Amino acid sequence: MRLDVQVAGNRVTMTGRIDDSATFADLPARLPTSEIVIDTGGVTFVNSIGMREWIRLLRGLRETGRRVRLDRVADVLITQMNLIAEFVGERAVTISSFHAQYVCPACGAESAPLVDAVANAPLLQQMKVPAMPCPECGAQMELGDFPERYLTIFKG
Amino acid sequence: MVIHPERKAQRALQRMVGAAGVPVEVAADAASAAIDDDTIVIADAAVALSRQPARAWIAVPGEGLAAAEASIVAGLLESGCDHIIAHPMPVLSEELLATVQKLLKRDVFGLEKYLTWSADVRSYTLEDALERDVVVSEIAREVVTMGLPDRVGSLVSVIADELLANAIYAAPVDDRGERPHLGTARDQSRSLAGRDAVTLRWATDARYVALEIRDRWGSIDPAACGKRLAKAQTSAGGMGLPLAYACCNQLVVNRAPGALTEMVALLDVRYKPTELGRAASFHVFVGEAP
Repeated sequence: MRLDVQVAGNRVTMTGRIDDSATFADLPARLPTSEIVIDTGGVTFVNSIGMREWIRLLRGLRETGRRVRLDRVADVLITQMNLIAEFVGERAVTISSFHAQYVCPACGAESAPLVDAVANAPLLQQMKVPAMPCPECGAQMELGDFPERYLTIFKG
Repeated sequence: MVIHPERKAQRALQRMVGAAGVPVEVAADAASAAIDDDTIVIADAAVALSRQPARAWIAVPGEGLAAAEASIVAGLLESGCDHIIAHPMPVLSEELLATVQKLLKRDVFGLEKYLTWSADVRSYTLEDALERDVVVSEIAREVVTMGLPDRVGSLVSVIADELLANAIYAAPVDDRGERPHLGTARDQSRSLAGRDAVTLRWATDARYVALEIRDRWGSIDPAACGKRLAKAQTSAGGMGLPLAYACCNQLVVNRAPGALTEMVALLDVRYKPTELGRAASFHVFVGEAP
């Protein structure tokens, strides 16, 4: 599925693949100059070319003085953002929530629940995640990967 | 030759390598090890950072054969080490024996070397550059259909996409040694016939998912490749290979210079990522094209 980008006021909603076919060149012109909220909860795939476009978009919005808040950042995007030096340390973007892979030690289920990055900010800064209940058995799930894959960009 | 400061680790490594059917000597440090151009050295990662001439060096984790620290793996990649095993037992054992056997037999190509006999290998040949998306989506779907988690399907699609893109756009070289397709628009059709042919095979044996991508150019520069992978946090440019490396647990480059590059990426589906090394293992082999 190609990337679908919907703009409603200051909210941008992206669904599908951020790959070679994704271009955000005309997007800033369609957005207001205030705070922009980008919801990528529906993004299913990001490759290196798509990541380059994503970086250009965020850089472009920042350079025009807009504040950017990322909402419901997809698991596939947050892990890649943690690999990019530009996103680490400088608090280049504000993230209000993101999806992370959790695994249930009791039943083995895996899921990617939404983590509230505002309410859990102190925890995330310590490279820890909040406990989440398993959707199948109710036991307490744990992060399914090394914390730095998700939390380097939140590190205090 | 096994070089490791811990006696327990020496014994374990000696047993693993001994399974290849060759004599194995042990030493506590490089100074007391007899190494010549025919020696395959299996050494503690810290020792492997200062390598001397040998047939091959295989770096293994240090203290207690626990998973190697990402910074140590990065240092080994930066230094051009061809064989870095990052994971603890029992993955270490499987990986080490496969590596030693490939070196001893000088038979390096094929994902089968990492899988059990029972794995069903599926194969795709791309006839046009535009088929990349279709193939990537298809194998991600197959992976999930086989009962593996969505997370694995997602990782497989990123790895396949990046390695296929490398084979299609970065591997071809012209008479001047330049890479004419590096800047080609990715939405352009291009026939992948003859030397431009690109194949993907994949399989799982419920231990690993293995992806194998081949091009017929054999033009990859492994030293440059290692240096790129060493940077844990990448810049925006040229991040395809680092991204594929970050998504897998073992990346293997098999090459016949000027004739064939085969990239094999392995994802361990038995263990939680946190039970393995923080960084992936990395191997470079040279052999004759089959």
